[in-house]
Amino acid sequence: MIRYEHVGLRYGIGPEVLEDINFQLDPGSFHFLSGPSGAGKTSLLSLMYLGRMPTRGLIQMFGQNIGELGRDQLAAMRQRVGVVFQDFRLLNHMSAFDNVALPLRIQGRPEKEIQNNVAELLDWVGLGDQKYALPNTMSGGQQQRVAIARAVITRPRLLLADEPTGNLDDEIGFRLMALFDQLNKMGTTVVIATHNQAIIDKFGHKRMILEKGRLHIEEPTKHGLRKRLEGVY
Amino acid sequence: MFALLAKFRNTLSRERALGVAKGKRRYDLPLTGGSSNSFLRLLIGLMSILGMLALAASFALSAMTTRWEQGLADKITIEIPASDSAGEMIAASSVRSMTDDAAKIIGARGDVLEAEIMEESHVRELLSPWLGEDMVMDSIPIPGIISVTFEKGTKPDIKALEAEIKEVAPRARIDTHESWLSEVARFTGALQFAAILLGLIISVTTLVAVAGGVRSKLSENKEELELLHLMGASDSYIAKQLQRHTLILSLQGGIIGVIGGAVLLFIIGMVAGNMGVNLVPDFKLGADQKIMLILLPLPIAALAMFTARFTVMRVLTKMP
Ligand SMILES: Nc1ncnc2c1ncn2[C@@H]1O[C@H](COP(=O)(O)OP(=O)(O)O)[C@@H](O)[C@H]1O
Ligand SMILES: [Mg+2]
Repeated sequence: MIRYEHVGLRYGIGPEVLEDINFQLDPGSFHFLSGPSGAGKTSLLSLMYLGRMPTRGLIQMFGQNIGELGRDQLAAMRQRVGVVFQDFRLLNHMSAFDNVALPLRIQGRPEKEIQNNVAELLDWVGLGDQKYALPNTMSGGQQQRVAIARAVITRPRLLLADEPTGNLDDEIGFRLMALFDQLNKMGTTVVIATHNQAIIDKFGHKRMILEKGRLHIEEPTKHGLRKRLEGVY
Repeated sequence: MFALLAKFRNTLSRERALGVAKGKRRYDLPLTGGSSNSFLRLLIGLMSILGMLALAASFALSAMTTRWEQGLADKITIEIPASDSAGEMIAASSVRSMTDDAAKIIGARGDVLEAEIMEESHVRELLSPWLGEDMVMDSIPIPGIISVTFEKGTKPDIKALEAEIKEVAPRARIDTHESWLSEVARFTGALQFAAILLGLIISVTTLVAVAGGVRSKLSENKEELELLHLMGASDSYIAKQLQRHTLILSLQGGIIGVIGGAVLLFIIGMVAGNMGVNLVPDFKLGADQKIMLILLPLPIAALAMFTARFTVMRVLTKMP
């Protein structure tokens, strides 16, 4: 579904922060993207949500070569990707409800459908009573749930999250991961950038490991794999 | 009037509150609030006033031109000079008889509506500013002047007429006012050109101000803009938001402009009337002209809207 060949990225005239990235993501797969701080995780994700274009290499998404797409086609492709940004990037001038509704409105869905779906999802993430709150009046955890709701409201084919458990304690972090797992079981391809080893260990998924701008893929750790096979969670 | 203003204020404050409202008119970018909006509204208002003044002036000018042209089109003046080719004075009685002979030729024509020999005293009056009261004594012969009005639409052969008259009054001249009319036309043409130039300046100013305003709005809201883009908003989806925003502001400014312009035109009309500056006596704007003046802010608002769209599209090309 996603295929990278010899992809490189540099910012301006700086050095390549991503060098010769090669990988392939199958539909319905779940990957952790890990690596030390500054390794290029955020940069790789920004390529995946089409926030940037690579400086070299070939990227195929949903069967199309992104270098050959026009602006409107790229926009349409972005609509199939849900992103939970590290800093959430909520719009502070609109309510939680409107934040979550935004991707649907951009896609021009009927308002009735928007009203129902957004209300339902906000209830599901436990923010049913905060619909009309402005994001900057909410706690960090609540904001994150708004951000996640916004990322999944369109049922994206690809879900990306940048260190979503970064400043959460492990307990909440695990619950969040369980949510992503659930979405994955419903068919969404998931990539989560994290350097939380406890989470990586607990959830046995393939790992994409970035080191100094290079990527390699590792099979699930034995511990995590066993847990997964045992159906611990 | 007050009710209208109050209603207008309401519209403005509703616009201000839109940021958090969950009504239909909703912007994905925080466009409401901020002094740049009031600035744009005011600027469009002023541009509308200027545009209205220029347009009204050009209406008055063309009314003036057509009236003069119509007034003089069928008129000629025949002048029988009071001196001979050597510069010697001719006796007043012979000037008078030559004038009478010329008048007879005119009178014999079928296409003349009205012909009149100007009274001697009247001609003296006209000449006195140039010659001085003392000089215009009875003894000094004065030229004979016949003003002729032809029937409307008849195009008399002036050359033939002049030849005919020259037989009785060899030094007679016919003035068709053509050269004077062309002077007038040149003058009003220059003024019309100035009005068009003013219209152009108004357009360019609107364009530059709107483009600048939109650009600063976009850079103020760079993160929000980028977010919309990342969520898959197409360029025209984003542009539409700023288009609508700019259109609303422009129309609000346009209403201010129309009210201001109408008041100003009314005052100008009164002052000009009082001062006797009546180049175009009892000139009144026609209903169609009034409608054009009132609707003038519409093209200005449309220009502002398209400028907004164009600017957004250009800014967005910097995003992949
Ligand atoms: N917008 C940017 N402009 C220039 N350099 C950047 C930018 N974003 C990231 N970098 C650089 O790219 C490298 C990788 O950063 P990043 O992708 O944020 O890594 P990670 O998310 O793994 O911490 C770092 O050296 C960082 O300084
Ligand atoms: Mg990062």
